[in-house]
Amino acid sequence: MRRILLALTALTALSACGPKEPVVEAAPPAMRRLTEEQYRQVIADVFGDDIVIGGRFDPINRSNGLLAVGASSTAINGSAFERYDGLARSVASQVTDRANRDVLVPCKPADAAAADDACATTFFKNTGRLLYRRALTDAELKTQVALANAGATKLKDFYVGLSSSLSAMLVRPEFLFVTDTLEADPSKAGAFRLTPYAKAARVSFLLWNTTPDDALLTAAEKGDLNSSSGLKKQVDRMIASPRLAVGMRAFFNDMLAFDAFENLQKDPVIYPAFGLSAVELAREQILTTIIDQTVTTQGDYRNLFTTRKTVMSAPLGLVYRVPVSQPDGWVPYEFPEGDEHVGIQSFAGFVALFSHPGRSSATLRGKAVREILMCQKVPDPPSGVDFTLISDSHNPVYKTARERLKAHSTDPTCAGCHRIMDPIGLTLEHFDGAGQFRDDENGAAIDTSGELDGVAYTDAAGLGAALAKNAAVPACLVKRLYGYGTGRISTSAEKPILTYLEERFAKEGYRVPELLRDIALSDAFYQVAPAADAPKTASLEGGKP
Amino acid sequence: MMSRFLRTSLAVGVPLVAIAALVLPRALPAAAPAKKSLGFVITDYNLAGYETKYFDECPEGLAIGNDELWWKALSPQDRDKLTNSGLIEPVDPPRRPTAALRGPNKEDVCWNPTITKDPPLRVIKGKIGRGFNMDGTEDGKATANTCAHEKFTSPDGSTKVDNQMYRILGCIYGWRRGNYMEGHANRERRDSSQGIILVDVSDVDDVKNDPSVTVTYYSTVDLLQKDSGGGILPWASYRPSDTPHYGAKAKGKIVDGHVIAEPVDARLPLFGNNVTGDMIYKGLRLDLDLTKAAPDGSYSGLLAGYRDFENWWDYIRKIEFLTVTGQWSCPAIWVASQELADGYPDPKTGKCTAISEAMDITAVPAFVVPREARTAQAQGK
Repeated sequence: MRRILLALTALTALSACGPKEPVVEAAPPAMRRLTEEQYRQVIADVFGDDIVIGGRFDPINRSNGLLAVGASSTAINGSAFERYDGLARSVASQVTDRANRDVLVPCKPADAAAADDACATTFFKNTGRLLYRRALTDAELKTQVALANAGATKLKDFYVGLSSSLSAMLVRPEFLFVTDTLEADPSKAGAFRLTPYAKAARVSFLLWNTTPDDALLTAAEKGDLNSSSGLKKQVDRMIASPRLAVGMRAFFNDMLAFDAFENLQKDPVIYPAFGLSAVELAREQILTTIIDQTVTTQGDYRNLFTTRKTVMSAPLGLVYRVPVSQPDGWVPYEFPEGDEHVGIQSFAGFVALFSHPGRSSATLRGKAVREILMCQKVPDPPSGVDFTLISDSHNPVYKTARERLKAHSTDPTCAGCHRIMDPIGLTLEHFDGAGQFRDDENGAAIDTSGELDGVAYTDAAGLGAALAKNAAVPACLVKRLYGYGTGRISTSAEKPILTYLEERFAKEGYRVPELLRDIALSDAFYQVAPAADAPKTASLEGGKP
Repeated sequence: MMSRFLRTSLAVGVPLVAIAALVLPRALPAAAPAKKSLGFVITDYNLAGYETKYFDECPEGLAIGNDELWWKALSPQDRDKLTNSGLIEPVDPPRRPTAALRGPNKEDVCWNPTITKDPPLRVIKGKIGRGFNMDGTEDGKATANTCAHEKFTSPDGSTKVDNQMYRILGCIYGWRRGNYMEGHANRERRDSSQGIILVDVSDVDDVKNDPSVTVTYYSTVDLLQKDSGGGILPWASYRPSDTPHYGAKAKGKIVDGHVIAEPVDARLPLFGNNVTGDMIYKGLRLDLDLTKAAPDGSYSGLLAGYRDFENWWDYIRKIEFLTVTGQWSCPAIWVASQELADGYPDPKTGKCTAISEAMDITAVPAFVVPREARTAQAQGK
């Protein structure tokens, strides 16, 4: 009774802050493959940072702007399974090797050369709960222990048996896929809801990008996550944790399509300062800036597009041509007034990523701003387009990108899209293909004027200000965060909840932790309807409770 | 090794991730000061000379080396023995190490240059040279700070030039432009980042013409920043060494894009041909031409001064293992340099204790980050 009263109080408090959360139609459940980043994070969290994950992962196709969404429509084929198997064997072998077993195996076998039922049970009960994101069923636990015992008996080594069984666990779908398991909703006849374990996984991957920790799983087991106050307690705890920075780093890495950095290379003859170390540091600079401003200092999200504050490292100092006081690590840095590096969209990582290996690209940059920062789809170019003139960055007649694009866009099939991309990208033309400042191209002065949805500006600082004022920018973050958390494309029926979240985001000063709290505490976020062909009555969950 | 989640007692509230180390302090540094600084890192330096295609400046030919003198001194029997009757080229051993051991009792003639007498060094006889008019005279007559000497005339005929180091070394095969001695030393400096000279031009109001700037010569503790081809990248940041004897400051000016530094006594870091130490100069001066950058972003100029003789000889004797490669005779250089030294006469003996020297330098723009700036940035000021 007390719990219900508390929940009602919390709900009343929430509703007092603004309009009530709209009721939206439940969306179908998803089954998401762990992304590479999640896999690595989970292994590091469960077994420690020292476990080396050296293998390759099958790529996940980006969908609706996110790998996290693409992960819901990704299967594991034979070759992918082989890779997972290799990774699993390597991880399991490291966990049980002599260097780590005393820390990672919570008990010692009575005889290291024989099977040990009790110790294996303890290990898999603890570890399995974190890997499967729920307590193992009795049958699952028995299977893992039996497998470990069989290996230990045959090879006369308890730890080899344990390793063998653990590696089998690490290729199970229960580990590799985050599954929306359902249960009947006792408050609504005929309705379903996420099980507490599935809720725990959803909120944990949203906020921390990893498997639920012991406290969250315990809350799930106690049923706390089914109450508003219990859920709020966990969400508040997780948002207050330093791990939020890790989770948000993973989210922004996904949202900004920064996985592309892994394949980013620049022509070393044209851009000698933008070496491989600069590539990784350029990504890190943007992510660190984002985390500092959105999580650490809890600033206005829109300030990311007008900020002059960032961090600088010595290799990046070569690219930006600014002094850096330390040869290693990062130092705080603020671009001076008048410098056109204003906002993350002007930082070397962003402009270099959306460029070609040997030249800048106003089109790619404009497309990235539209699609990534504003969630607007730019149509793919029509087939048979002649890019010869655009690519000719040393054309003696059309010396600047603006001139080349103008000549190219006389083709009406191209003009439409270029009209929405180029006025953004051309404003960033003072940054070459590696993000280095330049005044001219081929001896001709670069005109950086442009406009964004009717707002005209003259340089990159103006573009940043226009982005900060554009309503599509914070709305895009809401959409992406919600999709990132659910692992699926938002349905049209969910439009009201997105609008509601956008309004709250604005009211809360566009502070990302508050937006996360709103998402994580909303009913809609956990609302799931079974797929049309799912059984109507039986429990759809894989574990208890 | 730590499992964050298995060891649940540690799972909550522990600062866990590397990103924590990257978190920004709230306060960030303020805007740059009004006066500018122009920093440079010297990537190469070579003796400034005036070499002609047919060695006109060395009418006696190139200098005779320790090796040749040693070889000529051997009996035919000894030569047969060392070459296995002419079947082998005995470069090393014993030729390289023993070429310098030509004293009466096998003393090293580079460490004991007066122990034997060699034929005189073949020195530059040409009239054209490059550098500065450092003694202020047109004829090289003795002054309070210089000994009488012959002057060169600059290639355009406009200036009388003091560069006795070129006169001494200019006809030695290994010291001529593009050959081993300086080429190897430059490569070593690039490879090791030792002996790197920074030039900081501060108090700059106008980068084209400024009547008053300060030029400081530093050593750096940082590695040279290079591109994938080994080229020295411009715009890297370098911390000056805190060693107090570096950091000589000179008054200077900028005239039509040339940074011109007035003479100052200075120590510069030395590394080259496996020798580490300092180069000690009196009256070090600079003319760095900023009007034209090379395709790699570098600028060129002249750095000149009076090199302390003892300091210089310490270097020469330490590279005695290169006399075969470079082809010089230590005793001959010793005698010539004693005769040709033109700077800072000893008050007691009247003998000059320094040698005028001009070097062509190549430098790329860099940021020189002195200690106070490092502290301020670290403190977020």
